[in-house]
Amino acid sequence: MKIEKMSFEQSIDKLEEIVKELENENISLEESMEKFEAGIKLSSNCLKKLNEAEGKIEKLTRSKDGKLVTGELDLEKEK
Amino acid sequence: MEDHKNLDSKIYTVSELNSNIRKNLEYSYSDIWLEGEVSNFYFPDKKHMYFDLKDEKSKIRVVMFHNNNRNLLFDIEEGLHILVSGYISVYEKRGEYQMIALNARPVGRGSLLLAFEHLKEKLEKKGYFDSKYKKNIPIIPGRIGIATSIGGAVIKDIISVLERRFKNFHLVLRDVNVQGITSSDEICSAIDDLSEYGVDVIILARGGGSLEDLWAFNTEKLADKIFNCAVPVISAVGHETDYTISDFVADKRAATPSVAGEIVILNKAEAAANLKEINKKIRNLIKSKISIYKREVDFLINRRVFRRPGILLDRFNQAAGEVRIRLIEYIKKIIKTKEETVSEYYRRVDEKNILKKVYTFKMKIDNIDIKMISSIKNHLRSQKNRLKQMLKELQDKNPVAVLSRGFALIYKDKVDKNIKGIDEVKIDQKVRIMLGDGVLKARIFDKIYKKLELGYKNEN
Repeated sequence: MKIEKMSFEQSIDKLEEIVKELENENISLEESMEKFEAGIKLSSNCLKKLNEAEGKIEKLTRSKDGKLVTGELDLEKEK
Repeated sequence: MEDHKNLDSKIYTVSELNSNIRKNLEYSYSDIWLEGEVSNFYFPDKKHMYFDLKDEKSKIRVVMFHNNNRNLLFDIEEGLHILVSGYISVYEKRGEYQMIALNARPVGRGSLLLAFEHLKEKLEKKGYFDSKYKKNIPIIPGRIGIATSIGGAVIKDIISVLERRFKNFHLVLRDVNVQGITSSDEICSAIDDLSEYGVDVIILARGGGSLEDLWAFNTEKLADKIFNCAVPVISAVGHETDYTISDFVADKRAATPSVAGEIVILNKAEAAANLKEINKKIRNLIKSKISIYKREVDFLINRRVFRRPGILLDRFNQAAGEVRIRLIEYIKKIIKTKEETVSEYYRRVDEKNILKKVYTFKMKIDNIDIKMISSIKNHLRSQKNRLKQMLKELQDKNPVAVLSRGFALIYKDKVDKNIKGIDEVKIDQKVRIMLGDGVLKARIFDKIYKKLELGYKNEN
């Protein structure tokens, strides 16, 4: 699976796996470098995921013609 | 028989009378509440409900039509203590009066608990609470759906928790009544709407209240809806001690609405710190891997054969020049490859202190290279000098060289039996005289004794 397409959970799982593999003394340097680079890529992917959501609060309603519509929610106004 | 011939009296037909009584009763008891215990419950084809409500002394017939009973938040059953609202009417066909129930609810905590336990048992048997059906709550949901009352404190609590944990969250709110006859249906359609709009998780939230207040979350209809919802559902109803059916069916129960805010999304600062920690760990692991490899390279270039290649050259004195060049090329190549590999790895790790290490490491390699070449040169030079010296010594001792200078070697028949004094030969004896360019065969015809002075040779 491509790292960019991994969910946050999958990335974290994979990262933990990589740490375990790197801790194993029997893997070659070449392999270690591959794991290392994948690890760095995964952690930056996770960081990206932490920041990519767009912060907003919407109110969802169903209009008379049965369509779902959203609008910005202002709690102070609603009361 | 004459008494009843009162002119004022009206003679009714049966239908007329029943109809009149019906109208009177419906007018007088148009909107009443009646409390009692359910008996003779009859619910043919799950359409209209027929039962009696009774107390210690008396009972009354009750009908609840399908239109009204389909919104019930609980199951009416035998022996249940309930409160019904509606009006009194007459079933004219039989002249029986009865209560038409429009709504009903269990009375007292006992009855509610009974209804609750009944439904809980039923759903448990259906497997609705099985952990194998529980879906995972995403750690970072792109869109968080929430069904709650927009006017309550609950939504504000949740938003403030979310703001504290994860600034850039995306919330989609669906405003619903969380109490009252329509509340359960509203929550059900909120789940549908939020799923259709596309959210990654749905929170059902409501503040604390009595068992009756929370009843919207204790219906079978909502349980079905939650169980069949493709999106994971978090039930966040009431206080920590309140349990509702939705808590059991939902993929996750949050003890309070604020807790739901904590469950639904991770703490961004914590997550970022953890990531940093993992990142550091991976970097340290790879650094130690590289230094192990570096030690291997060091070991290799410090091997005797590389440090003092003269040992090898000793065996190939003849082809020393060629071997030397090839060996140096070979060693240089090995060192260069190793150096490049190590530098490449260091470059990939890309850290300042590592670059520094690589630099000193490279210096060391260069130094070793220079040392090695000069060691080879020195060795060759000393070999060459030794050879020269040996040749000179050999030249001095070589009899052939002496002969070339005009001296002669006289021997009888074997070369090693050379004649060192004149007493060794007799007159007329055949001898051989060896000169630098050949041998003369000769015969002795006379002997003259004359001792040569040692200094004579020097004067010559």
